Amino acid sequence: MARLTVSPDAESGMSLGNPKKKKNNFTRFFGQIDLQLMVIPALILIFVFSYIPMYGVLIAFQDYKIGSGSFLSSPWVGLKHFKAFFDSPDFNVVMRNTIVISFLKLIIGFPAPIILALMLNEVRKIVFKRVVQTITYLPHFMSWVIVGGMVSTMLATDNGSINMLLETLRVIDDPINFLSMSEYFWSILVTTNVWKEIGFGSIVYLAAIAGIDPHMYEAASMDGANRFKQIYLITLPSIMPVVTIFLILAIGNLLSAGFEDILILASNPALRDVSDVIDTYVIRVGINNYRYSYATAVGLFKAVISVGLLTIANYVARRAGNSLW
Amino acid sequence: MKNRRKLFVSVMSVLMVLSLLVGCSGNSGTNAEPPKQESNAGQTEEKQGGEQASQLYELGKEPLDFTLFGNYEWYTMPPWGKDETTAWIKENKKVTIKEIPNGGNNVQKLNTMIASGELPDVIWGERGADVERLREAGMLVALDDYVDKYPNLKKWLDSKALNMLRSPDGKLYQFPNWYTNRPNGNAGWVVNKKIYTELGSPKLETTDDLYTYLKMVKEKYPDVIPFETDLAKDGHGIDQLYSAFKENNLSFTRYFAVPDGDKMKSIYKDEAFRESVVFAAKLFREKLITQDAMTQTQDQVKEKMMNGRVAVYASSNPTVNGMQAHSELTKKDPDAGYFMVWPIYKEGLDKNKIYPGTYNKLGWNAAVITTSAKNPEAIFAFLDWYTGSEGMTLQMWGLEGEYWKGLEADGVTPKFTEKYTTDKEGLAKYQSKMDPLMWVGNTVYVDDIKGKFEATLPDNERNWSTYWQYEITWKTQGDSTEFINLNPLPETEEGIVHQRVKDTWLKARAQALYAKSDQEALDILDKAHEDSMAAGFQQVLDFYATRWHENLKIING
Repeated sequence: MARLTVSPDAESGMSLGNPKKKKNNFTRFFGQIDLQLMVIPALILIFVFSYIPMYGVLIAFQDYKIGSGSFLSSPWVGLKHFKAFFDSPDFNVVMRNTIVISFLKLIIGFPAPIILALMLNEVRKIVFKRVVQTITYLPHFMSWVIVGGMVSTMLATDNGSINMLLETLRVIDDPINFLSMSEYFWSILVTTNVWKEIGFGSIVYLAAIAGIDPHMYEAASMDGANRFKQIYLITLPSIMPVVTIFLILAIGNLLSAGFEDILILASNPALRDVSDVIDTYVIRVGINNYRYSYATAVGLFKAVISVGLLTIANYVARRAGNSLW
Repeated sequence: MKNRRKLFVSVMSVLMVLSLLVGCSGNSGTNAEPPKQESNAGQTEEKQGGEQASQLYELGKEPLDFTLFGNYEWYTMPPWGKDETTAWIKENKKVTIKEIPNGGNNVQKLNTMIASGELPDVIWGERGADVERLREAGMLVALDDYVDKYPNLKKWLDSKALNMLRSPDGKLYQFPNWYTNRPNGNAGWVVNKKIYTELGSPKLETTDDLYTYLKMVKEKYPDVIPFETDLAKDGHGIDQLYSAFKENNLSFTRYFAVPDGDKMKSIYKDEAFRESVVFAAKLFREKLITQDAMTQTQDQVKEKMMNGRVAVYASSNPTVNGMQAHSELTKKDPDAGYFMVWPIYKEGLDKNKIYPGTYNKLGWNAAVITTSAKNPEAIFAFLDWYTGSEGMTLQMWGLEGEYWKGLEADGVTPKFTEKYTTDKEGLAKYQSKMDPLMWVGNTVYVDDIKGKFEATLPDNERNWSTYWQYEITWKTQGDSTEFINLNPLPETEEGIVHQRVKDTWLKARAQALYAKSDQEALDILDKAHEDSMAAGFQQVLDFYATRWHENLKIING
């Protein structure tokens, strides 16, 4: 039944390729007017909140003072704020942390939900699958403030459950001060992130897996492929387009190493050398000190690099056959 | 058929999304509307008011509506007129105050309001950068004329403090909150009574005594935190340790600089500070300080205090947790609980010159009236009344008839009823409910009245924190009025350097606590000093010194 209602859609979609109907773009547009209408709110949203405010990046090239009326009357200073950022002693530390943390998040945090989705797909008991899915995606809805509170309580030296567990198991003699030691910070940050987002991230992959034609599995098992082979030869290639798209987007976000999570988990200033990333730097040095022009310049720098990374990633993916545009 | 239904469904869903969008913007539209109307209405009123400018504005002769913005992310104002006291003010003084909510993001909200020019009538928050920005943009109303005209602020605020509140242009824009003319504050040392007695009540006065005592605690009570610092990343606990090593120490950690003759010098070169850092690192290394000092949350601190798992507790405001924990612990065991001790000092120093905390005559924060206010004088008249004896009595002890009835012969001291002593919990609840509405608190008046009354009570009936305030903390807070407002504005050249130096300071202070040896702690300080100097700290130190001398000039007349 479900397949029947879907098929006319697929047909009309397919018919676009038909030279007879491919008159011009207008006809094409009105042919799918119901679908196009649904896109409009999203377009409006992006236009209003992402494009209209964009002219504000001009203050990166000014000495802007809030309250001085229209910002166009502020003095132009060229690349002063960019130079100040590149010359600042914090630049190297901030860039290193940003890149290291986001690479860690990419290498560990990106495949994790895919693996979870593949594993969940192999679970036969529907009830168990649902329970696991619900439990894993719940943390996504908790705010970082709450997660941060939980993590700092669990990792505390005084009555912290992790330290108590390790002590009972005789792994350690004295409690370890996890949240105060720079060498542990990256692992704690990435682990917490994976724990929080793994379930929610896996939903899209589960949906992609659900769309795979079951006949392929039947055919494969007839040919004697075991379950691992089926995963490797059928499931993975079938969801590859989705994986690629998400990978491209993730690479575009490489310079967004995180913000709230770091702000909350690295409350100890002793960790600053390993925890300061672009976004935390912007809020501390820029926004909190009313240096809006400086904050904007750093943000703009980040945005330009991100667009560059996104384009490169997309170019590579296009050569491989799956790309965003 | 199917297609038409599909079209219908999608058109409907599009409409719904659109209506959501429109609905949202509609909401914010209505939110923004009222102040506009008020300010329009206000302009006509102002003209009427102008004719009788020389007369005092009489509260209650006409309705006075204004808006207020609390410039703190934690701030929400209880709705005006929903409790008895504010309902009484609304009824009798015809004053209605409406909050402009900050939505938990005060910085952004204030910036939006400044940028769009739609300011609230009153902004209440920290003195300093925000006020200066508003003043420079010409968005604040000068209060000088009003101060002379209206009775209360003039009477209660020290004239030197008033001069120090002035902005660089020589005018006064800030109506101070909890201003005072004598020491106040709660910073100090709290000790667990039960553990102390069980250990034989040893002498606990000097830093050496403290070290010995903490070691004893650690040995006999492995589950107890010997020394609890509260949130050390904000300086709690470790600032109090520093205070023990230097006479006349006025919280110089705020500026990472100490006075040296008539100049300021880097704190890293201050012998007393270096000594205190080495001492703190030693305590931390030997696990005598809570190992979570830099990372813990308020809740964790409170939990330890409430369960009596802390032997010694020092912070710049230990009385909040101290009082609650004391009353909780004494419920089960009257011999348990906490008490305060005279500030710890290093052997050889004069214990009467040790200040674990400071106060300044300007008080906590301030309210400013913006140019959006339709009748600034009327608002000032209200604030002036609110900070006077009648207003303060209402805020602290409620309407007449419950906790007080009638006034003493002086006309300002309320006569407390029996309920004032019997229903302490109810009164505390009332005061904490009113607390967010106390924008222009009058410390001297309130403390005087409270003190006069508490002095008539037997010791065991006195409020824990009031008791220790009178016994110890008020006697041991230093006057740092000459050292306030030293910080440069953030977007100036000095401000940018200051920010860098502050980053270095916060990092170094935290790292030094984890130092593995005395030498490592000192190395961290030396490194921080070099980094700060390289960033241009000298410029900031000179700036501090100039500002400090300006303050001194005002204070000395």
